Amino acid sequence: MKIRITHSTTYKYNLTVPKLIQCLKLYPSVCDNQEILKWNTTSNTGKIVESHIDALGHRVQNIFLNNFNGQLKITSRGILKTKNFSGVVRGLKEKVNPLCFLRETDLTKPCEKIKEISRKVQGNYKDEVEFAHKLNLVVSNSIDYVSGSTTTSTSSKEALRQKKGVCQDFAHILISIARQNRLPARYINGFLLEETTSGENTTHAWAEIFIKHLGWVGFDPSHKRCIDEKYIRVSSGFDFIDASTIKGVKTNYSGDEFLDTKVNVESCQ
Amino acid sequence: MYNEIYKNSKVRKSYNKIYDWAKSLPENIIVKKKNEAENLFKKIGITFSVYNNFDSTERLIPFDMFPRIISGVEWKKIKEGVIQRALAINAFLNDIYNSGEIVKAKIIPEDLIYKNPAYEIKMVGFKVPKRIYSPIIGSDIVRINEKTFKVLEDNCRTPSGVSYMIENREIMMRMFPELFEKLKIETVENYPNYLLNILKSLSPKKCNKDPKVVILTPGSLNSAYYEHSFLADLMGVELVQGGDLFVDESITYMKTTKGPEKVDIIYRRIDDKFIDPISFDSSSLIGIPGLFDSYKSGNVNICSAPGSGIADDKAIYSYIPDIIKFYLGEEPVLENVKTWRCYKDDEKKYVLNNLEKLVVKEVHGSGGYGLMIGTKSPKKEREKFRKKILKNPENYIAQPVLELSSVPIFDKNKLSPRHVDLRPFCLVGANKTRLVNGGLTRVALKEGSLVVNSSQGGGVKDTWILNE
Amino acid sequence: MLSRTAENLFWSARYIERADSLARLLEVGYRISLIPNTEAGYNNEWESILETSGIKNQFLKKYKTISKEKIIFYLLFDLENPSSVKNCITSARENIRMVRTAVTLEVWNAINSSFHELDKNLRDTKNILKELPEIIEWIKKQVNLIRGTILNTQLINDGYDFLILGTYFERADFTARIINVKYFILLPSINYVGSDIDNFQWSLMLRSISSFRAFKWAYGGQDINYIKIIDFLILNMTCPRSLIFSVEKIHHHLDRLNKFYKQNSTSKKKIEFMYKNLKNLSANKITDIGLHEFLKSFIEEINFVYKKFEQKYFFGLEK
Repeated sequence: MKIRITHSTTYKYNLTVPKLIQCLKLYPSVCDNQEILKWNTTSNTGKIVESHIDALGHRVQNIFLNNFNGQLKITSRGILKTKNFSGVVRGLKEKVNPLCFLRETDLTKPCEKIKEISRKVQGNYKDEVEFAHKLNLVVSNSIDYVSGSTTTSTSSKEALRQKKGVCQDFAHILISIARQNRLPARYINGFLLEETTSGENTTHAWAEIFIKHLGWVGFDPSHKRCIDEKYIRVSSGFDFIDASTIKGVKTNYSGDEFLDTKVNVESCQ
Repeated sequence: MYNEIYKNSKVRKSYNKIYDWAKSLPENIIVKKKNEAENLFKKIGITFSVYNNFDSTERLIPFDMFPRIISGVEWKKIKEGVIQRALAINAFLNDIYNSGEIVKAKIIPEDLIYKNPAYEIKMVGFKVPKRIYSPIIGSDIVRINEKTFKVLEDNCRTPSGVSYMIENREIMMRMFPELFEKLKIETVENYPNYLLNILKSLSPKKCNKDPKVVILTPGSLNSAYYEHSFLADLMGVELVQGGDLFVDESITYMKTTKGPEKVDIIYRRIDDKFIDPISFDSSSLIGIPGLFDSYKSGNVNICSAPGSGIADDKAIYSYIPDIIKFYLGEEPVLENVKTWRCYKDDEKKYVLNNLEKLVVKEVHGSGGYGLMIGTKSPKKEREKFRKKILKNPENYIAQPVLELSSVPIFDKNKLSPRHVDLRPFCLVGANKTRLVNGGLTRVALKEGSLVVNSSQGGGVKDTWILNE
Repeated sequence: MLSRTAENLFWSARYIERADSLARLLEVGYRISLIPNTEAGYNNEWESILETSGIKNQFLKKYKTISKEKIIFYLLFDLENPSSVKNCITSARENIRMVRTAVTLEVWNAINSSFHELDKNLRDTKNILKELPEIIEWIKKQVNLIRGTILNTQLINDGYDFLILGTYFERADFTARIINVKYFILLPSINYVGSDIDNFQWSLMLRSISSFRAFKWAYGGQDINYIKIIDFLILNMTCPRSLIFSVEKIHHHLDRLNKFYKQNSTSKKKIEFMYKNLKNLSANKITDIGLHEFLKSFIEEINFVYKKFEQKYFFGLEK
């Protein structure tokens, strides 16, 4: 199906920023699941510098600003044609060995609760796919979806302790438990086409688990399913922080930063 | 235990002249010379260092005047072996960050590479300038007997100590010029020049001029700051800190009074995680925002390459002989020390049953820390390590307690044997690999001690390679 | 050269000059304190010294009451006073230490030994007043030693310019402030201008900045008076502590930097303007403007020059 996306991120500063450098990973993944018909990222401040294609296939871009005042608005617009491969990500151009994604990070460190859940799901499974689906299901039921209940620095352990979270937390828990069971897993940022009452969307996050005979498979524990043609994949990483689509550093800045994100995902003909 | 100066209570040929000289020195002259050496160190120290004050108790590493001598024949083998390792290590890094043939060939278990935090996934698939990841390698070598030198570890990130190699020679030449007439000793003073040329040969893709080289230091509080400023001075390049560099439009500059000046090659003496707060540790204050993207877009080279540390990981160390065979198709010239890898069940079993005979090392430890010498540790300490090994076997390796060779030092003005090791510094450039004929001899000043690390009571000696 | 290197050289020299100024200030206080308290205004000399160096509030926060010994200790040795002589010399050394290879061994030794020997001068905190002359002598001697080694051993390159600029930016600022204080704080009221006390205080002050004889020479042994003092400390090129002298030096070295780097700079343009203005001024004109107003705007202008200088050479903000 064809999906149109508009995604804008606005940073507002109350003082002059002497130096600001940002690293953007906003370009959708190049893979067979999604054909990029049109994509364009712009900034209200002008130049975006192309840097390189990184190890995970991200097209990395930079923004450099000196003595900057006011607001910085980064907007991506585009149309993609998507396909459903029952969750499997095909044709991804990346060079990193999946085993790297067995490493733990601070946000996904296995805690007692993870180990406990992990013990409960042990059993006889037909194959890794079946086991992965089981993990996804268990994680879906492990916490309640409550928007605004966690922050960007909430770990899987904390989310489990408070029994609630958002898509980011579901993904982190699934990643922790998959790695605990020796299945490489990673964090994915992207978009999801869904019916909303407000007409406003948000960015979405889920997890990918590496299954030997299939490759990377996308699981969305907050929706209790595998990814399909409604999902647009953008960036990947060990966890939320590593996969961030925009990372920046301000040098010698003592003021505040206000962030506002607007997303619109719609199907189109 | 091998005594480098005596053979059946007779002085070996290579040491003959120096032994006669040492014996001929009256006691008062030894005392005088010792003081003179100390003063010279302070003077040179002051000249180069911001680290030492002439009246401060803070001192450079203790220096012993009795030189360590290595014959031309012995050195030939060491040289060959060290260069072989340095080339193999760079080939290994290039492979694992690209196609990973050595893993596919099942020579190294894939977990050991890919699960290893020292394996930097941001470097995967990146074409490092001239395919050289680690241009400066310091391998620690111990002598076991007449014929055998073994490598204890390789330092591929930012090996330190080379300033002492140069300085020790300077002191010896000033104090005992007559010895340099009696013996033909290979020179080491070319090192800074070689280093500069090697670094210059590694210019990044987008550099069409004579490349601008800088040394990046964490700052004057770093314990090796003295060496950083020493090298910058002798190489004639700027010694910069993170705040002196910045990135604009993907290009790396240093702030000068003339305005921004483009930098092409950074010889960094900081850890990976301090390179760039955007791409690595976001809490780092000494990093340069945007540097890593500038590097990956081919505008600047960072030496050694981020992620080089995997090659000196202690778990990888035990595979170096296999690495040499795999990439160079040669037999290793220098042996490794026998190593038991605790992640393998049978080897772990052996280690746990023989703790009192072995040295147990943490895989990611360095500088003599995270280490247990079985023969010297009380039972309590051994049991502590037993628990640690059982909990995280992949974090530990074990080696036999090595009988390091000994060389005399002037101890209370008499000659007395002490254990030593040797660290030569191999330079790997685009078209040339160079090894200065010399190295840093570290000596355990405490009688019987096997720990030569300067942080734990070690000293240094001048190392003489004879030109025969 | 690296911006950081230039900045360190500049500040090292600036701190040395500041230590020197402080020592001279203390000398004024000491000399005045030797005079019997016959008239109002004489006994608050120590307090005015705190005012001159702009640290009275800080001092009162720590000590609540004012005593000679405490003030002297605070100005000389107190680590809590950021501009004590001790902290100035420590900062000077720190700055040089960072760029050790940019100065000669002699310069380093002079600064380093000053740092290490300073504490030896403090033998008895209680009798600090008695020891003060000796300590002041020692500081002045060390400063001259450091300055001498800079002049005699450093290469005369851009690094040298930054060292000298540090000295004269500090001196210009200090002289302007001390004249200001002399007239508006030290005297009991403005009516005393031209009085005996006024002239007496001036002679002491001139002595303390080692300019008493110079003044006598410059004005042919005439008596001290208000107009001549203004002329001497602001407009006389032969007085090494006059404002015009410092401005001329800053102008000279900023100009050298321009030539050295083959660039123009806002700071040099501005200082040139200041220098020309000073050359065309007379002491009478200054009194017409009002001494206080004149000094206030002088300090503002010199700070502006410094800001521009700093932006260009230390922060790389002016291309």
